[in-house]
Amino acid sequence: MDNLNSIFLIASLLLCLSIVASVISARVGMPLLLLFLGVGMLAGEDGIGLDFASFEAAYVIGHLALAVILLDGGMRTQMKTFRVGLRPALSLATLGVVVTSGLTGLLAMWIFDLTLLQGLLVGAIVGSTDAAAVFSMLGGKGVHLNERVSATLEIESGTNDPMAIFLTITLITLLTQEVADPLSALLMFVKQFGIGLPLGLAGGWLFAWVLKKLQLPTGLYPLLVTGAGLGLFATTNLLGGSGFLAIYLAGLMIGNSRSAKLQHILPVHDGLAWLSQIGLFLILGLLVTPHEMLATALPATLLALGMILIARPLAVLICLKPFFSFNWRELAFISWVGLRGAVPIVLAIFPVIAGVEDAGLYFNIAFFVVLISLLIQGTSLPWAAKRLKVEVPAEFMPKRRSLLGVFAEDDYEVFVYSVKSETLDGVELRRLRFPSGARIGALFRDHQLIHPSGSTRLQQGDQLCIIGREADLPVFSKMFNEEPQPSKEKARSFFGDFTLSGDAPLKDVADLYGLTISPDQASLTLGELLTRRFGGHPVVGDQMEWHGIRWVVVAVDGDHITQVGLKPL
Amino acid sequence: MQINEILTLERTLFGVPGGSKKRVLEYFSKFIAQQIPQLDAEEVFSRLIAREKLGSTGIGQGVALPHCRISHCDQAVGTFIRLRDKIDFDAIDGQPVDLIFLLLVPEEANEAHLQTLALLAERFSDEELRKELRKTDQPEQLHQLITAPIPS
Repeated sequence: MDNLNSIFLIASLLLCLSIVASVISARVGMPLLLLFLGVGMLAGEDGIGLDFASFEAAYVIGHLALAVILLDGGMRTQMKTFRVGLRPALSLATLGVVVTSGLTGLLAMWIFDLTLLQGLLVGAIVGSTDAAAVFSMLGGKGVHLNERVSATLEIESGTNDPMAIFLTITLITLLTQEVADPLSALLMFVKQFGIGLPLGLAGGWLFAWVLKKLQLPTGLYPLLVTGAGLGLFATTNLLGGSGFLAIYLAGLMIGNSRSAKLQHILPVHDGLAWLSQIGLFLILGLLVTPHEMLATALPATLLALGMILIARPLAVLICLKPFFSFNWRELAFISWVGLRGAVPIVLAIFPVIAGVEDAGLYFNIAFFVVLISLLIQGTSLPWAAKRLKVEVPAEFMPKRRSLLGVFAEDDYEVFVYSVKSETLDGVELRRLRFPSGARIGALFRDHQLIHPSGSTRLQQGDQLCIIGREADLPVFSKMFNEEPQPSKEKARSFFGDFTLSGDAPLKDVADLYGLTISPDQASLTLGELLTRRFGGHPVVGDQMEWHGIRWVVVAVDGDHITQVGLKPL
Repeated sequence: MQINEILTLERTLFGVPGGSKKRVLEYFSKFIAQQIPQLDAEEVFSRLIAREKLGSTGIGQGVALPHCRISHCDQAVGTFIRLRDKIDFDAIDGQPVDLIFLLLVPEEANEAHLQTLALLAERFSDEELRKELRKTDQPEQLHQLITAPIPS
C-alpha cells in the first residue's frame, strides 16, 4: 500500500512540476515538450535516481498517449483547410516520409557503419513529424501562419505517422526474419491503409451520429468519445489496419460534425491531450539513461543535422515543388518545420520489444534526433516564420464567445466585445453595418443592462453581447478591434490601405488606376487574375506585384477571392 | 508630394450634412465643379461612384478616401470634408464615417496617384490627428492639422 502511494505521490509531483514549469518555458521560448523530457530525465537514474527501465510499460503508455493525441488533433483539424492543405500534405505524408527516411537512413548507415537495412530502420524511426510539437510551439508564441502552410503542416503531421510506423514495422520484420519477403511487406502496407482508412471514416461517422442522437450528462460526452476512439484504435490494429490513421480520421469526422456537443468535448480532450503529452515525455525522459548515451551524442547530432538540412528539404522539394504552387519561402518554412516529437521515440521502442540486435543504439539515436530537432527547429520557429514571411496578421477575436445551445447543429453564438475605439463613441447602433443575421442582444454600461435599440448611442467602455454565427466574426472583429495601435498599423501595412472587391472587373480596375492589361485579361475579375496566379487555391495573405502595386488577398470564401488589398510599392 | 500641395483652405469643409454616401459624393461633385469650373460635376460624381462599386474607400476608423482619375484636371486636387453626422460608408471595418478626404487626379497620373493615397492613409491612421479633427470647428485649424508636416 505504501508502495502504491509513493508511486502516486511521485507521479503527481512530476505532473505538477511539469505544468508549473511550462509557465517558465513559455517565457523563455523553449519548446514545452523539451521541458517535460527534461523533468523526466532529472527525475531518472542520472538525476534524483528513480529507476525506471521498463520498455514494455513505455510501449503501452506510448501507444495510448499517441492515440489520444491524434484523436484530439483530428478533432481540431478543420476540414475546410483541406481545400489548400490536403493534397500537398498527403504527398508529404507518403512519398515525403519515404524520401526523408531513405535519405536519413543512408546517412545513418554511413555515420554509424550499419548495414543498409539497419540504416533504413533508423531512418524510418525518425521519419514522421509531430503535430503536437509543431502546434504547441506555434500557438503558444502567437505565430499566425498563412493557411496554405499551416493546413499542410497540420494535416501532414496528423497523417504521416501510419507511414513511419509501417516502414518501421516492415524493416523490423525484415531484420528479424531469415527470409525477406517483399510480397508480404506490400500486403501489410495495403492492409494498414486499406483497413485503417475505411474503418476510421466509418467509425468517425458513426460516433458523430450517435453523439447527435444521444442525450447524456454533459460530462459524459468527452468520455464516450475517448472510449469509442480507443475502441476503434484497438479494433483496427487487431484487424491489421493502422489504428493511428483510424483514430485520427475518426477525430476528424467528429470534430467536423458541427455538433453543439463539441463545446463539452473539446476542452476535456485538450486536457487529455496535454496529459498524454506530459505523461509520454516524462516516461521517455525517465526511460533514457543519459550517461550511457554520451557516446552516441556526437554522431547522432550529425545525423539530426543531416536530416534537418538535407533530407527534409529535399523531400519537401520533391513532394511539393512539381505539383503544387508553393513559393520558395513557403517551401523553406515547411522544410524547417519538420519537427520531430514523441512518435520517433515511441517507434524506437519497437525494435527493443521485437528483440532486434543493437536496438539500444537505435533508441539512443532516435532520442538525440528528437532532442536536436526540438532544440534547433522548435526554438527557432517564430523567428523562421517571421524571416520567411509566412505569417499573416491574426484576426482580432472577441474576448468571449460561446454557443447558445438553441440548435443541435450550426448553432448561434454569443460574442462579447467591449467598445474601445473613439470612432464608435456616440455612434447610434443603426449606423453600424451589421451582418443581416446578427443582433446586439444586450449592452452593458456601468454594470447596468441597457436595452439596445437603433437609436442607442455607443459609449467607450460599453460591453456588447452580440448574437450571430461564426461566419459573421470577421465583420465584428474589424468593427470592434481593440488591438493597440501598433498591431493595427502592422495589419494595415500588410494588407494595404485600400481594399477592392474580388469581383471587380479587371478592366474597371485598370481604368481606375491607369494600368494596361492584355486583351485576354479584359474579361477577368481581379479575383480571378489573382486566383490564377496562386494556382487556383488562394489563401489570405497571398500577394503579388503587378504594375508597381502590391496586391494582397485580404479575404477568401473557399477558392473565391472576396477582397483584395492594394498598396503602392 | 506633400498634402499642402493638394489641399487648400477653401477646400477644407466642416459641418457638412451627411445623409448617405451618395449624397455626400453628390454634394462634393457640385462643390468642386463650382471651385474649379473646368471640372464637370456629373463626371466627377459618376467616376467616384464607379470607384466605390469596386470596393469601398472607407479605410476604417471613420475615415474615407474617395478618389478617381478625371479629365480636364491638370493637377491633383484634394478636398477635406468633416461631416456633421457619421454616415454608413460600407467601410472595411463597418464603422460609420465622418472624416472624408477626396482626391481627384489627372488622367495621366498613375503610380504617383497611389503614392499620394498611401500618404493620406498614413496621415489619417494617426489616432491623435483624428481626435483633433473631430474636436475642431475652425477651417484654418483643420487645414493646418492635416497639412502639418508629419513628425518623424
